[in-house]
Amino acid sequence: MHLSDALVSPEVAATAGAVSLLLLGAAGRKVSRQRRDDERLVPLMGVTGAFVFAAQMINFAIPGTGSSGHLIGGILLSALLGPWAALLTLASVIILQCLLFADGGLLALGCNLFNMAVLSCLVAYPLVYRPIAGTNPTPRRIIAASLAAGIVALQLGALAVVLETELSGITALPAGRFLLLMSPIHLLIGIGEGAGTAAVLCAVQRYRPELLRNDLPRPNRRKTARLLAAFVGCALLLGGLFSWIASSRPDGLEWSVERLTGTTELTAPADAPHATAARLQQRTALLPDYDTSFAGLVGTGVVLLVVIGTARLLRPTHKKP
Amino acid sequence: MRERLTRAIDRLEAAERTDRCPTLLHRLDGRSKLLVTLVYLVALLSVPLTQLSDTLLFAVYPFLTASIGGFRYSPILRRSLIVVPFVAFIGLFDIFQERETLFRIGPLAVSVGWTMFAVLLLRGLLSVQALLLLIDSTGYPRLCRSLQQLGVSEAFTTQLLFVHRYLCLLLRESIALSMAIDARSFGRSNYPLRIWGTLICQLLLRTFDRAERIGRAMTARGFTGRMPALPYTRTRWRTADTLYVVGWSAVIVGLRFVSPERLL
Repeated sequence: MHLSDALVSPEVAATAGAVSLLLLGAAGRKVSRQRRDDERLVPLMGVTGAFVFAAQMINFAIPGTGSSGHLIGGILLSALLGPWAALLTLASVIILQCLLFADGGLLALGCNLFNMAVLSCLVAYPLVYRPIAGTNPTPRRIIAASLAAGIVALQLGALAVVLETELSGITALPAGRFLLLMSPIHLLIGIGEGAGTAAVLCAVQRYRPELLRNDLPRPNRRKTARLLAAFVGCALLLGGLFSWIASSRPDGLEWSVERLTGTTELTAPADAPHATAARLQQRTALLPDYDTSFAGLVGTGVVLLVVIGTARLLRPTHKKP
Repeated sequence: MRERLTRAIDRLEAAERTDRCPTLLHRLDGRSKLLVTLVYLVALLSVPLTQLSDTLLFAVYPFLTASIGGFRYSPILRRSLIVVPFVAFIGLFDIFQERETLFRIGPLAVSVGWTMFAVLLLRGLLSVQALLLLIDSTGYPRLCRSLQQLGVSEAFTTQLLFVHRYLCLLLRESIALSMAIDARSFGRSNYPLRIWGTLICQLLLRTFDRAERIGRAMTARGFTGRMPALPYTRTRWRTADTLYVVGWSAVIVGLRFVSPERLL
């Protein structure tokens, strides 16, 4: 589900980045307070982040399909560390994957953090997992809660991917059909994520039940609603602001020309100097009769060849020992 | 699976080797390289999807940066291919949806959809290459320090450094677990969910024990929640950094607004 930079526009990336940064800031403050009471929290978060990364590389067989799946870890981390510490931990894993393994883009990082970390740790865990699992979960409850939360997290993630690519204007496919394509794939991945989470949590409950954070206070609904409203408002404001900046209205120069001439497109006068210049340009142009797009491609190719040549000259030479 | 784990360890070790070369690019402050990469990505992604030649022009940045940093371009290109499957999956729909002709190469008509597909692939490859050059020339610890200097909270940068520090350790532990189970599973390559759950739980329990030991050791050494900066991660912002940012920003803005189609 890692979105590449190619699939988002700068406006969408900036909006998602701002929302994710706000939430990470809030998580940072919460964890700093938590850290004062529990000094083991910092190494615990660091090592569990590394654990999630390693666990993602170990696949399990999906019965009847011949394929395999792996853990994503949002729900598992939330059940072990609490949602805010889990958000920070999963965010660090996603950033590490982006920076060291080029898995997901740098500009799309905000989108990826929102789609994978925020939706699973701050939405699916408190609103789906906790109410189903309850304070004293049995293995059956853990399985049901993990499956439901895994499916909800992945479906919300798929919906967010569709919205982000549609708002970026990347795909010509209508949003409804795109969602119809994404939803079944992510339903299967969600079931895999839920089953994997349940398998690990059941094993943890059997061997070290004290590690499961069932003692967390119930979320204050009014406070959560206020927080969600603030973030939705923030996203709308930022979205509106960026879409205004990137609007298709004429820029300052075009606006001035439009005021003067009534149109933003100007045609060259047919007097002698202009006609001579046009003839000269026609004669000196490398590809006069070709389509401008093709000519542009050839021109770019030539520029790139020059750059590659220059780059070879610029490369520092290493003396062989 | 063991191959994936080994590849990940190799990648981590390779990243540590490449970030300390004596080239101009490596000596620059992480912040300047990060800012230039962000400017490049914003400019690249703001090019309309139908402008193939304009997008192609942006390949100038990875070519030149790779040369300045003493990197060979072909391994960077090969590593950037990781992005192709998902981008191609999304771009494939454009080919079938947008069929009107955009330009011709002799008798061959190139549709809007094919152009959009090619631009998406190019965007994906170039953006990953820019990212790979940033991390290969800066290194992860220095980049985290740069993020901190740019205002990212210390709690978060400490977390990023911790995950990186213990990643190799846990990957090696996963390899050991995987070898142990392979030795007892007589050729089975995938594990059923129940066995996999116990395996991952073992890894998790060892992780928790390790975290506890690390926590105690760090407290005993006076850890207050702040990770001290390693000597080689300390760099100052110099005139070369300002020149690098201003120079590349001017070139990138130029690339964004100079269209080869209009010039020819």
